[in-house]
Amino acid sequence: MTATQKVEAGAAGHGAEPRGKRTEDGQATYLIAIAEALWEEMERDERVYCLGEDIGAYGGAFKVTEGFIERFGPERVMDTPIAEETIVGLAIGSAMEGMRPVAEFQYADFMSSGFDMITTALARVHYRSGVPLPVVLRGPSGGYVRASSFHSTNPEPWYAHAGGIKVICPAFPSDAKGLMKSAIRDDNPCMVLEHKWIYRRVKEHVPEDPDFLVPIGKADVKREGTDVSVITYGALVHKTLEAAEALERRGMSIEVVDLRTVYPLDEEAILRSIEKTSRALVVSESYRYAGIGAEVSATIAQRAFEHLDAPVERLSPPNMPIPFSPTLEDAFLPQVSDIEAAVERLSAW
Amino acid sequence: MATDVDARTQSARPLPEAELERMLYLLMLSRYFDERTEALYRQGRLPGAIYSGRGQEGTHVGVVFPLRPQDSLFPTHRDLSAQLAKGLDLKRVMAQFWGRIDGYTRGRDGNSHIGDWFGSRTWTVMSHLPIAYPVACGAALAYQRRGQDTVAMGICGDGATSNGRWHEALNTSAIHRLPVVWVVNNNQFAYSTPNPLEFGVPTIAERADAYGMPGVRVDGGNVLEVYAAAKEAVDRARSGEGPTLIESVSLRWRGHAGHDPAKYVPKELLDEYMASHDPVANFQDWMLAEGLVDQDGIAQLDSRIQREFEEGYEFAQSSPYPEPEDATKGLWVEDGYWTSEPGRGGPTEAP
Amino acid sequence: MTTVQMPQLGETIIEGTILSWLKSEGDTVTRDEPLFEISTDKVDTEVPSPVAGTVSKILVAAGETVPVGTALMEIAEEGEAAEGAGGSGSASAQTPDGRQAPGASESPSPAAASTEPGASESPSSGTAPAQQAPAQTQVPAPATAAAAAAASGGGAVAEMRERGPRSKILSPLVRRLASEHGIDLDTVEGTGAGGRITKHDVMAAIERGPAPAPAAGPPAAVGAAPAGVAPQAVPTPAAPSGAAEEVVPMSHIRRAIATHMVASLQTTARAWTMVEVNVEPLVRLRADAKESFVQKYGAKLTYLPFVVRATCDALLEYPMVNAELRGEDVVVRRFVNMGIAVSYDEGLIVPVIRRAETMNVPGLAQSIADLAVRAREHRLQPDEVQGATFTITNPGPYGSVASVPIINQPNAGILSLDAIQQRPVVVDDAIAIRHMVFVSMSWDHRVIDGELATRFLARVKHNLETWDFSSEVGR
Repeated sequence: MTATQKVEAGAAGHGAEPRGKRTEDGQATYLIAIAEALWEEMERDERVYCLGEDIGAYGGAFKVTEGFIERFGPERVMDTPIAEETIVGLAIGSAMEGMRPVAEFQYADFMSSGFDMITTALARVHYRSGVPLPVVLRGPSGGYVRASSFHSTNPEPWYAHAGGIKVICPAFPSDAKGLMKSAIRDDNPCMVLEHKWIYRRVKEHVPEDPDFLVPIGKADVKREGTDVSVITYGALVHKTLEAAEALERRGMSIEVVDLRTVYPLDEEAILRSIEKTSRALVVSESYRYAGIGAEVSATIAQRAFEHLDAPVERLSPPNMPIPFSPTLEDAFLPQVSDIEAAVERLSAW
Repeated sequence: MATDVDARTQSARPLPEAELERMLYLLMLSRYFDERTEALYRQGRLPGAIYSGRGQEGTHVGVVFPLRPQDSLFPTHRDLSAQLAKGLDLKRVMAQFWGRIDGYTRGRDGNSHIGDWFGSRTWTVMSHLPIAYPVACGAALAYQRRGQDTVAMGICGDGATSNGRWHEALNTSAIHRLPVVWVVNNNQFAYSTPNPLEFGVPTIAERADAYGMPGVRVDGGNVLEVYAAAKEAVDRARSGEGPTLIESVSLRWRGHAGHDPAKYVPKELLDEYMASHDPVANFQDWMLAEGLVDQDGIAQLDSRIQREFEEGYEFAQSSPYPEPEDATKGLWVEDGYWTSEPGRGGPTEAP
Repeated sequence: MTTVQMPQLGETIIEGTILSWLKSEGDTVTRDEPLFEISTDKVDTEVPSPVAGTVSKILVAAGETVPVGTALMEIAEEGEAAEGAGGSGSASAQTPDGRQAPGASESPSPAAASTEPGASESPSSGTAPAQQAPAQTQVPAPATAAAAAAASGGGAVAEMRERGPRSKILSPLVRRLASEHGIDLDTVEGTGAGGRITKHDVMAAIERGPAPAPAAGPPAAVGAAPAGVAPQAVPTPAAPSGAAEEVVPMSHIRRAIATHMVASLQTTARAWTMVEVNVEPLVRLRADAKESFVQKYGAKLTYLPFVVRATCDALLEYPMVNAELRGEDVVVRRFVNMGIAVSYDEGLIVPVIRRAETMNVPGLAQSIADLAVRAREHRLQPDEVQGATFTITNPGPYGSVASVPIINQPNAGILSLDAIQQRPVVVDDAIAIRHMVFVSMSWDHRVIDGELATRFLARVKHNLETWDFSSEVGR
């Protein structure tokens, strides 16, 4: 393990480490929090290395790894060709030999170019041979940014379905940092989907303890309430919280459960909330058919049956490409008003 | 003078005598195993599928021979002989064929979808082709990063060279001069598809140039020729000079899998290869000619191999099936399934 | 194995509620022996067993509402093996002849009425408040349902509880909470959409305190209230129970009565007319004939058959009083199905004597007696409580001298026979003591007017005062 580099405080700049990119009052954006996690884990364990397209000299398409190559060198911040299968293969092979790769996908959308390596190889090696693969795949997912269907995908159902990959979708900076660190330290394949809408929009005071971890597979109640449980993740957590404020002014109290990890699911946390409110609304940016919302809804219907005072409602986009034009995208993806309306419908049932 | 001749002959031998005997044993073992398992399969006594490597033993044994124990091998379903050469235990291989707990994958996969990473450093074969090639890059990357003189070797068939992954892997390995050897077992048919329908160039080896590495084409019927090329490639990789592409040409004597009668292979071609490109027969002849073995010795090897096969078969039959509850174990590292002894409470009769 | 299904008791009936099981799993049952009590829009009744055998399995719990045709119970016929049959004993009380006494009724029917001997067959309720004669418990026919239940959006199917289209939807949570806390969901008002009982409603019921057993016994006042007692208020659920106060939740029949009463008052333009009738001859005739009558006809002779006879004649003379408003049409009938209000443990019910105009006094006496008994034993068939063209109520035996009844929708009028008393009257310029009775009628001013109503009553009076019934009673 190498000695920790002195923190370069101050405003963002090329070469400054992520912690130097916090705000004046010490808050970190979601993106910076993720960068901090990567940096700290690379400092902590020299087996950890990053690979991906344009992450080295360029600092990454979203600048997550800006400054990394200067600190850790090109071998640990490796620029790859546009070869997603190979990126995953490199990760698998090096992990088999004891390294701890963190593979970046420029957009989560491009993970599907390596779909076979992810779902056939990465997800199955340990089950069939006992060889641990401490691999992290990460990339920006999600919409609401007018980026159209190839840069707005929510691929979590595909990879959750593979079975053998832990799929993580944090919504807040602290959660993102703690979960990324947990993922890197986990000996199983993990996928961290970083919602790009949140990247620079949300900031908060993020712990600086290099051993600050958030457990994988545990949900978190972001807002307590009594009338309806809204189970959600990713950008929709923020939209739900916004809806909660509006609903409260109208006398309705919703509990917002942030899944944080979509596979494996924290069923107990979900059930605890339903037991309290008796009404469940599942809001998911992944598609309605066979999406994350479908799984959560089925779990609630099956395990919380006797606690339900109304049917389980789902709010998800249809199974179609995400459109570009603002009127189309806004109609397509769940909005704050949709969440409010769904809560009202559910309350009146 | 006799001594001079002897010395010249001996210095022409690529390997010490014991190693050459081991090579013969492995060739003969591979052939016998292939024939017996096919017979069992046709008798309905072998569950699942078989993927014959008959006629390609020269490739399989030849390329693996220069590898050290810590070097890693990334083969396909057809390369069981390579895995046996790398060091897999015949008994446990056979337990795998019969889906028993003592198989290398504890019943999670069968037949030649096998590997022994912790022991012989071989990748547990997957069906998608060539899914192991990018992984081989990863292992090689690790060796390079750590400054180890370890080498990774990938084997795939001629058909797999049509897949994008093959090209990605070669390309990536050349960019970074990874310590890897790329072996293509060109047995001239990918299932029913002949070479001309798989690639637009006359040989696979000449593609190496396009990726920035040397390529060599060898006669898979001559195990020593294969060995020589592989040795050179492994040495190059080990010394940091990067990857090499080896195209070893043979013929697939049997169908793609046990059910396939392979009528698409022209009879004359098959007859010719079986007559003059049989790597086992050729090497036997060479060993006999070199005086390294006599007919008696070959007969002894035959008996030994037969006996080992029978012992392996018995071992497989008496090994229990996995316990049903095990089906959902071993996905995550933390459940400890793979770091502890498996349950042996399953039945020994076929369910 | 015979499967007992939810019967369709009436053409428009689509579902029924199991009020209580009269047999348990393992009990033996004979053919026609009552198996369970059901409640439909029309009537509560017992359902007899189609076969003899042993109850093998009960498939639907008491309190559940299921569609017609739903399998309710399995009976293993004699000779078959019964699943889980514990033995041939019956868990419920049986009378010697195997007939099950009505489970829901705790007071024996004859004693429910007043102590007057002749009044045991009287159909009037002892709980009737002096000011208010009981009206029927019959669920309004479609015309009334359309008029009174428009707010609930209910269609032709009348709801059991008249609470809204979703009043029967019970979520898993609501069922569980009710089960765990012993809450009878019949007693819980649904404040959710369409009348649905929500979690909050059940939680409120739980907080109010444990509910008494549902419809298990009549409210305390049945059979005990003397005449003139103030109207018994429906207990409000909010007040906690104490020694001086008892909370009695409404039974579903009570609720039905309440709903129909209100609907009647809100729908009809109710007016009221009274006449005074000299029944001296009748009183004497009855006193004379009653013993031989009961011996000959097997039914006690009360005043009611006379009044029915007299009224039938008047109805045929003035058929507009025997009419019904349907939409914009007045449907005039020239036959009489006479509804007779009967009080019983659940409240009120109005069995109907069909074609009463064709019956004589003995026939009417027998019919009235039979209907009253069966009403109290919950053994009326659905078509026996529907189709009345006119209704008579008789609170007289309990002492009221004048009553203002609520019209039994969709009739145009309801006649009240109050107490026969000796009064001083003027006869030929002198004061004489005669048995007099006030006979009155509430009538619907939408259909008929005062002159007609008065003429009608005058006719009834005339009949009662002048007819010679002696031949009909066997004198």
